[in-house]
Amino acid sequence: MRKVWAIVRREVVERVRTKAFIIGTLLFPVLMGVLVVLPAFLMSRSTGTKTIALVDAAPGGGGGGVGGDLGARIEEALQGARIGRGPEAKPRYSVQRFAAAGRADEVRDSLVPSTGLSRKQATGWDGILVITDSTLPTGKASYYGANVASLSDMEDLERAMRPVVIAKRLQGLGVDLETVMKSVQGIDLATTKVSNGKLTGESGASTFALAYAMGFILYFALLLFGTQVMTSIIEEKTSRIVEVLASSLTPFQMMLGKVVGVGLVALLQLGIWASIAAYLASHQAQVMRMFGVTVAAGAAPGFSLPSMPVDLLIVFFVFFALGFLLYAAAYAAVGAMCSTVQDSQQMQMPVMLFVLTGFFSTFMLMRDPNSTAAQVLSYIPMFTPFAVPLRYSISPIPVLELAGSLGVTVLGMLGIVWVASRIYRVGILSYGKKATLRDMLRWIRTA
Amino acid sequence: MPNGSVVTIERVTKRFAGHTAVDQLTMQVPAGGIFGLLGPNGAGKSTTIRMIMNIITPDDGRISVMGRESASRDLSERIGFLPEERGLYKKMKVLDMLTFLGETKGVRRSAARQKANAWLDRLGLADWKAKKVEDLSKGMQQKVQFIGALLHDPELLILDEPFAGLDPVNSQVMKDVVVEAARKGKTVLFSTHIMEQAERMCDHIVIIARGRTVVDGRLSEVKRQFGGRHVALSFTRNQDRAGKVLSDPGLVSKLDDYGASAEVELAPTGDADRLLRSLVEADVGLSRFEIVEPSLQSIFIAKVGPEAAVAPAQEVVHA
Repeated sequence: MRKVWAIVRREVVERVRTKAFIIGTLLFPVLMGVLVVLPAFLMSRSTGTKTIALVDAAPGGGGGGVGGDLGARIEEALQGARIGRGPEAKPRYSVQRFAAAGRADEVRDSLVPSTGLSRKQATGWDGILVITDSTLPTGKASYYGANVASLSDMEDLERAMRPVVIAKRLQGLGVDLETVMKSVQGIDLATTKVSNGKLTGESGASTFALAYAMGFILYFALLLFGTQVMTSIIEEKTSRIVEVLASSLTPFQMMLGKVVGVGLVALLQLGIWASIAAYLASHQAQVMRMFGVTVAAGAAPGFSLPSMPVDLLIVFFVFFALGFLLYAAAYAAVGAMCSTVQDSQQMQMPVMLFVLTGFFSTFMLMRDPNSTAAQVLSYIPMFTPFAVPLRYSISPIPVLELAGSLGVTVLGMLGIVWVASRIYRVGILSYGKKATLRDMLRWIRTA
Repeated sequence: MPNGSVVTIERVTKRFAGHTAVDQLTMQVPAGGIFGLLGPNGAGKSTTIRMIMNIITPDDGRISVMGRESASRDLSERIGFLPEERGLYKKMKVLDMLTFLGETKGVRRSAARQKANAWLDRLGLADWKAKKVEDLSKGMQQKVQFIGALLHDPELLILDEPFAGLDPVNSQVMKDVVVEAARKGKTVLFSTHIMEQAERMCDHIVIIARGRTVVDGRLSEVKRQFGGRHVALSFTRNQDRAGKVLSDPGLVSKLDDYGASAEVELAPTGDADRLLRSLVEADVGLSRFEIVEPSLQSIFIAKVGPEAAVAPAQEVVHA
């Protein structure tokens, strides 16, 4: 055991000392921070009040006529739109209406030169909204502006206009205005997760974020650190250090030491990243202010760490550890079969396919965590680390099923470690050619 | 050190795809002293050593080390091993590397560090302790690896081609260490294809070729058996008395007389000591008495020469 510990210690110490580890550990949170701050930063810019020129060529728009006051109504609706909720929410639009009955194109063209200017001027427009007499019957309106590519901007605009147009149409059919305003009121669905008969206070979005995050962390860790196990074994083969080690340790001890060592490094690195993320999340407002972004309460969705109940944390950790051991052993076997890193590109494909399948299955699982497919995946050792914590986070899993999954995963892990160690045992001392499937089977069989 | 053999190999065979690397090999490494495993390239030396170390398993036959079968790994605390392929972690610092190797042999970390320091000082690598392995020259790396094999003070040292690629100065340093270990009662088994080295160091040799034993025995015995036993003589007086001594069939089986000098082959019943005593008693004024032994080189070439020529140039390990 002391020998295995020596291997583990060497793996950890030598890995943590490398520049790659230090740079990776520091750089990743910086990227993460940029990912959090940047959208909020951009949003605070783009969510400023937009100045809109409303070219009103609809009937009644200055020219008088049957349709009445559609333009005025839309202007009113746009003026009333707010960014976010709460009393201090800024208005979304500042609107000026131009009466343009019959000469919409002319008015629009006169406004275009002062629209979408890169430097904001007092007289400039962010966009021109044109409504015509066909707006009411067909719902057609035109918008000209620099932000036409922003789907959310366009959606906001549509959302503001829709009730006005619908109301106007119904009014034309003789429906009482008050009834109309009530009936076009939209639906605002507030989601709260219920788990085991208790309200959790989590919204649907944060449950989704948590489930996705767990799947992603596992996927990321397996690919990143699994590959590290593989390449370092190839390096040991190339430098022939394996011969020295093989004379004092059993191949199983060597593999165990390597996998556990790299696993500890993975935990360390992920732990550092998680702590930084938790810190950033809890001090979000200060951090944002540091970058000159002021966030009005509830204005920016920003990013918040979903709370993670202790039981879920345990389930996640247990399955993460088992999954890591399983895949790291598989990667170790692949490394032992190859003599060069180039060989391994091809040889690791089967393992990678399992990781990818596991990760992509999480999207399917999120849609329906209790489907038959989800239950089947919870009994396949290669996929349980992805499936079980995710299902557990979304809806409770019966204890018996959870225990079954755990049992299957442990057995599967031991089985794969056993097979991998047999391949490893022969593979590490075979140089030259890549191992074929036949070789592999022979290695597994030989005592 | 108890008498008996430390390593026993009985009718061991190892086949690799396409050829038989070791074929029904039998040999015993006696306890104490220096044992040379000699043979041309591709003779199966490294394969034999790997099997002794239990890195690969024989297809057939039995190997026991210190009286235990297939357990060299459990005995790794008592065995020091220098593999043919030198392997070190290039990015590790020299002292850390050696400490780690010591630990894998079951030495405690602090003790391993201390011993590594002592060895590095002794082999002139003190200034390189904190350097990375990859910054060292090849010869220095080899010395580091050599220290790695000795660090835990093993009873049995197994060295695969320990002198390959070393300059004469470093070769000498390593030779001294090996000889000192043997003098302390440890057993050293080393393989080489450099006969001069083996001839100067070994007490016991085995020559293998194409996986089979060709010669096996104590070095002196091997030479005696192989070389007839020739003595070259010169005398300054009483040639007739000398002639009388030399004509004793109990002592000399063959005489090549040149008058003031002679070359004789000792009879099976005679030995050089008795011949010398008789000649001194006869007062012949000896000016030369030299036992002319065949060199190991000539024995080697005579025994394996034709086979060596067709032996594969390099061993490739597939399992």
